[in-house]
Amino acid sequence: MVSAVARVGFQPHRLRLTAAAFVAALVVAGVASVARAQQPGGAGQTGGDGSDGDDGDDGNGYTPPAGLTPPLQLNGYIDVGFAKAQGDGTSFAAGDTRLPADYAVDPFAPAVNSRGDVASNDPGGRLTNGFLPRSVGIGGRPSFLINTVNFDLKYTAPGTPLLIFTRLQILPRFSSSGDQTRPYLEQAFGRFIPFDSQELAISVGKFDSVFGIEYLENQANLRTGITPSLMARYTTGTSTGAKVFYRMQLPALWSAVSLHVAATNSGNFVEALQSPDASLTGVPVLSGRLGYELNRPEVQVKLGASGLYGPRNDQNQRDAHQRVVGGDARIALHGLYVSGEYIRVKEEEGGPKTTGMGALPISSGFEARAFYAQAAYAIPVDLGPWHKLTLYGRYDWRHAWFAGFTPITVDRITAGLRIDVWDAVILKGELLVNRELAGAPTVANNVWTLSLVYSW
Amino acid sequence: MTTRRNARGAGRTMMAVALAVTATAIFTGAAAAMAAPAQSSPWLGEDLPLPLTVKTPQDLAVKQVAERQYLIFNLLAGGKVAWDAGDFATAATKWEALLRLHPLDADIERVIRPLARDARGRAGGAAAAVPSGGGTAAPAAATPVAEARPVVVSAVVSGTVAGGGALGPGGAVVWLKRVGGETPRPTPAKGKVVSQRNKSFVPRVLAVPVGSKVDFRNEDTIFHNVFSLSKPNEFDTGLYKQGGSYTQVFKKAGPVQLLCNIHSTMIGYVYVVDSPYYAQADGGGAFMIRNVPPGEYEIEVWHEASSKEVHQKLTVGADGVRGVTLNVAGDKRAPAFVPDKSGKPRQAQVGY
Repeated sequence: MVSAVARVGFQPHRLRLTAAAFVAALVVAGVASVARAQQPGGAGQTGGDGSDGDDGDDGNGYTPPAGLTPPLQLNGYIDVGFAKAQGDGTSFAAGDTRLPADYAVDPFAPAVNSRGDVASNDPGGRLTNGFLPRSVGIGGRPSFLINTVNFDLKYTAPGTPLLIFTRLQILPRFSSSGDQTRPYLEQAFGRFIPFDSQELAISVGKFDSVFGIEYLENQANLRTGITPSLMARYTTGTSTGAKVFYRMQLPALWSAVSLHVAATNSGNFVEALQSPDASLTGVPVLSGRLGYELNRPEVQVKLGASGLYGPRNDQNQRDAHQRVVGGDARIALHGLYVSGEYIRVKEEEGGPKTTGMGALPISSGFEARAFYAQAAYAIPVDLGPWHKLTLYGRYDWRHAWFAGFTPITVDRITAGLRIDVWDAVILKGELLVNRELAGAPTVANNVWTLSLVYSW
Repeated sequence: MTTRRNARGAGRTMMAVALAVTATAIFTGAAAAMAAPAQSSPWLGEDLPLPLTVKTPQDLAVKQVAERQYLIFNLLAGGKVAWDAGDFATAATKWEALLRLHPLDADIERVIRPLARDARGRAGGAAAAVPSGGGTAAPAAATPVAEARPVVVSAVVSGTVAGGGALGPGGAVVWLKRVGGETPRPTPAKGKVVSQRNKSFVPRVLAVPVGSKVDFRNEDTIFHNVFSLSKPNEFDTGLYKQGGSYTQVFKKAGPVQLLCNIHSTMIGYVYVVDSPYYAQADGGGAFMIRNVPPGEYEIEVWHEASSKEVHQKLTVGADGVRGVTLNVAGDKRAPAFVPDKSGKPRQAQVGY
């Protein structure tokens, strides 16, 4: 798909989807939806069948009058954790004083929560490049954590096909210093569905990745387990731009095919501080996923192929590109849910690197191959408010290198237990066994972590 | 006020007279029928619902009055149909039930009381002791006998459901379960339909008795699917286009959450009731359960916005129970992320 995009001769142009552009897009969508609502028989005339609000015992059921369902919906969650990492909470071997520590922390940093925050970063300040995970700064000490406070605000304009969604998060440890709490606008977009008869949705603003599948459960209240995969940092970052989703049903086959494409300011990498929302090169990054789904009652299968292409947005040279390709698969069968994903990442060397950490002298070339496979089995439980028990396990593998540095191969084995209580509380506990397979000294960096998620 | 009361009284008298005239006319023409071979023409009126709109307390009052007159007419005419068919026991039973209603217009009592006595006599039993329904006719002098067929009186239980949070009480499903006895198994309902219209389930909440078939119809121009993960009534219709439909039989009692695998915003409910005595509250919360035999019951309520069903003891007398007040909590919010077929939460804002 990436090469196809190149062949058709996409003409780069400056695309700064700033807040102003976002607002303008919403205005356009709003005008269109108002016009649409004025059409006879449009969605604005939704209503009952004569039974609205009056069914009593005549057996025809009850449909609330239009407008009874509030258009504004506020949901969210609080994720409180408890974690203990081995050693000093970093993935540096004792006595490893190599310089520069260009790639030191990234491959095997011991994630402790659903955000992928690590227990600690290199305390020596040797990091000069690469990807820096956020740190909770607890070292090897067991500690309670506030991981995320999340607010989702969803507004469905009555009688229109317009949805406005924002996800605001209160993030402790937003900066690498480990103790600064900040509000963070994780997502903010408007979604417009132009046709009643087509599964076509157009979104403009700051939104989730369209690459792969892990972004679909990148929040603590949605993720089966606690920690993200080792490859999540390449696929789950949010970005600002426009995206289109289209799906076509194939009813005879109980199937559907879908295409999800986006043009955004940056890619989907997750950094210590998010990559800048603004475009540093003026050229958008294109990404997309082609999906197939089989939706039989007894089994569901979802397959996808994803691609991402565009300039690196952690520097300002247009000819320093990033390319990511991947494939994903999900199978659900009688309570068993198996998912897996594979990606290849290539980032060309670029100019001075800019992150929330500040400016770094170069942006090294970087390549990675990674995959994970996860299985979860849900057991229905009927013990008061406790209604589900889920056992899960995941295997992660990653082989990655910075240009000029030794490739490092690591893997991770995760085993966990999840308990769902009422509809609002999830208790999860998991063990992560982090292993250095090649290119780096073995480090004691396994993690025990717990997460209590309360949703509202 | 006086004028209104007079008007009401006049209306009631007119209605009663009309009924009496109707009955008389029926009987006048029925003399030959009595001698003629019995015609098998069952009276179906008792099973027909009254499609009256109830949105205000005034609507409810009108409906209650209409229901009462409807019952009177059904007993009156149903007895006559039974008489014509030579089923004097049924005729006597219906008319005796009619005479037990209180208050009952004097004209009706004057016409029916002797006929009821005659029917009971023809049925081979002594007339039941039927007190005056409020009319001017003298009480029946006959003494009940052991072999007389027991008279089943069906009453009305009505009231109001309150609560339900932002959704209000509308759609609450109210049903009765016998205490100290077995609740009769309900007759499966026919012709129940849930449509998919404008990417919504219409109706949003439908109560059906156990064993009922529900027809799911797609009235949109796009494909729809209906599935439910609600055990033990889980099902999956597959995909079907505009005009298509799928029939599902609901065999087990309980709530069934309806979802569409394509449209993550669509949500609806079928509540399967294991009792013949049930109703759904209208938008104002008013409900009415008809044909309830007197006895001890537990009245139960389910509402989509309540995490728990409401249970309350209820004694139903021959005159039924009016003004039952029930409260449902509004503590259960609509799910932020509805599940897909595999039970995984879907984020409605992502994609479609």
